[in-house]
Amino acid sequence: MERNLTLVALFAAIIVVLGFMPSFSLVSGVPISAQSLGVMLAGTVLGSKRGAAAAALVVLVALIGLPVLAGGRGGLGVLAGPTVGFLLGWIPAAYVAGLVTERWQGGHPLLVAISGAVLGGIVVMYACGTLGMMAVLQKGPIEAMLLNLPFIPGDLIKATIAGFLTREVWRARPALRAGV
Amino acid sequence: MLGLALPGTSWAHRLPAGAKLAALALVVLVLLPVAHPLPLLGAAGLVALLYATLGPRALAAGARMLRPLLWFVGVILLYHLAVGEALLGAVISLRILVLVGLANLVTLTTPLTEITAVAERLFGPLRHLGLNPRAPALAIALFLRFVPVLQTRAGALAEAWRARSPRRAGPRILVPMMLGTLDDAEHVAEALRARGGVAAGKDRPEGGTKWNAI
Amino acid sequence: MGAELQDVALVREGRPVFAGLSLRLDERRIGLVGRNGSGKSTLLRLIAGLQAPDGGTVRVAGADLARDRRAAIRSVGILFQNPDHQIIFPTVEEELAFGLEQLGQPRAEARAAVAALLAGQGLTAWVGRSTSSLSQGQRQLLCLLAVLAMKPGLLLLDEPYTGLDMPTALRLQRRLAGLDQQVILATHQPETLAGFDRVIWLEAGQVAMDGAAGPVLEAYRAEMERLAGAAGC
Repeated sequence: MERNLTLVALFAAIIVVLGFMPSFSLVSGVPISAQSLGVMLAGTVLGSKRGAAAAALVVLVALIGLPVLAGGRGGLGVLAGPTVGFLLGWIPAAYVAGLVTERWQGGHPLLVAISGAVLGGIVVMYACGTLGMMAVLQKGPIEAMLLNLPFIPGDLIKATIAGFLTREVWRARPALRAGV
Repeated sequence: MLGLALPGTSWAHRLPAGAKLAALALVVLVLLPVAHPLPLLGAAGLVALLYATLGPRALAAGARMLRPLLWFVGVILLYHLAVGEALLGAVISLRILVLVGLANLVTLTTPLTEITAVAERLFGPLRHLGLNPRAPALAIALFLRFVPVLQTRAGALAEAWRARSPRRAGPRILVPMMLGTLDDAEHVAEALRARGGVAAGKDRPEGGTKWNAI
Repeated sequence: MGAELQDVALVREGRPVFAGLSLRLDERRIGLVGRNGSGKSTLLRLIAGLQAPDGGTVRVAGADLARDRRAAIRSVGILFQNPDHQIIFPTVEEELAFGLEQLGQPRAEARAAVAALLAGQGLTAWVGRSTSSLSQGQRQLLCLLAVLAMKPGLLLLDEPYTGLDMPTALRLQRRLAGLDQQVILATHQPETLAGFDRVIWLEAGQVAMDGAAGPVLEAYRAEMERLAGAAGC
């Protein structure tokens, strides 16, 4: 019990610290915030339940008024903005990322890790983000998706990075691969 | 880590947190169906006025918190202008600004201890799900304790990278950072268990948690 | 190699760390002593170019290393206290090859150089090992080798003996004594500076004493003992 609690709390701290780091500037030169990378990693490294709990902890801390989101953002206002879906979507995103890595035990580790990151960190995340945008911007699903399209390539790179990083962690800590 | 709430004893600070949250929810429900920019403009004026009654520091903080949204709002307005739906664009933009501004007002005038008390009450029902209601509070305390520790570690790793590379550190340093953190978690868990563990607090009378970490 | 600080000023979090600090560092073995918080680590970072001064200049062999990072990694190597905060890669080979690749060597050449380096140290057994399987002392050695592999002219060490058991510490001391490059070593344990040419005693960002190792260390030791006896320490 204690171990799960500390893993969740400390990984939530990782997600937040990633938000403080200057954004990694990738190939296209577009600065990309590392925080959602942390969410993908929470799922793939800690598993579905703990990963989702870590994401939920960050969301909770942000809502109670601490500037933990990238750019020093926080407070209740984040629930009323257009990116609300992306924020709340962290929780199911981490959950699904973890679920993929937990269920798919036999596959090649890198493939499993990247798939988890993509399914959770992109498919589920964007689904939630799009729903949020639809609500706040009063748009249909297709329009909202179009608005999100430019960010997908960057997030795909992030998911790939998450896959590589996860595989390295699994190599060093095989117990985590088994979901312990 | 400093919370976003501003210190002070304004009228807004003295309102109970629960009441402010309920009022916020009410305003959201009332404003959602509004389809014309004029009432929303009025609402925006009211919100600005509310901020003004709290003083220049509150106005500055409110403006600062809205800044990241301005880019978004600009794009929204331009987009709607381009597709010939300027009115809708104005409605959507204004509504976002009003609701975000008002929600942030609650955050700015509600000290952490108060809002976490509300959160704890909301978590009460978790007990019936078999989850320890003290867990979120403990998790938050641990989280707050370790954010600066991890920042230092990230900084040290980034520096060790820069000591051997002319380029800035890349995502690679996240591996030793995660591994170090995973190890830390094991040690902290052990320390927790040595002091009775998470369950130890369950039998203590409810009376709020000691937010020493904040 | 030679380092020079001229009128260096540094402010951190609103407080002055250094003001008007000027030093010429040419001796082969220089020790830096001082209590925790005296500025030893920060001074090493300034010399390595990891930190730029707010005022004045810091130059190593005439170059401003804070600006010219390529020259920096070619001329200065810095070893920090905690190996866990320095080791970035999961295998020994990758960790050692990293610096070489950053210097521009193609991967194959770097790997060959690493193999040669390990063989020269009698550590062929380390080829293929994971960094997390190494002991504390071994990880410390790995960090040192990783820095030395880049053949810097000046080696800076920030409290390298922290947490090492006696045989490991002695081994490190012997290794350092045999190095060709100029060494500047910061420590709060004066006994590890045996045989050094010059010792600078830093106190709250100022030079309290600067000269031959013997007299400076004696005065430093006496002061530390006096502080230990004083009330409220």
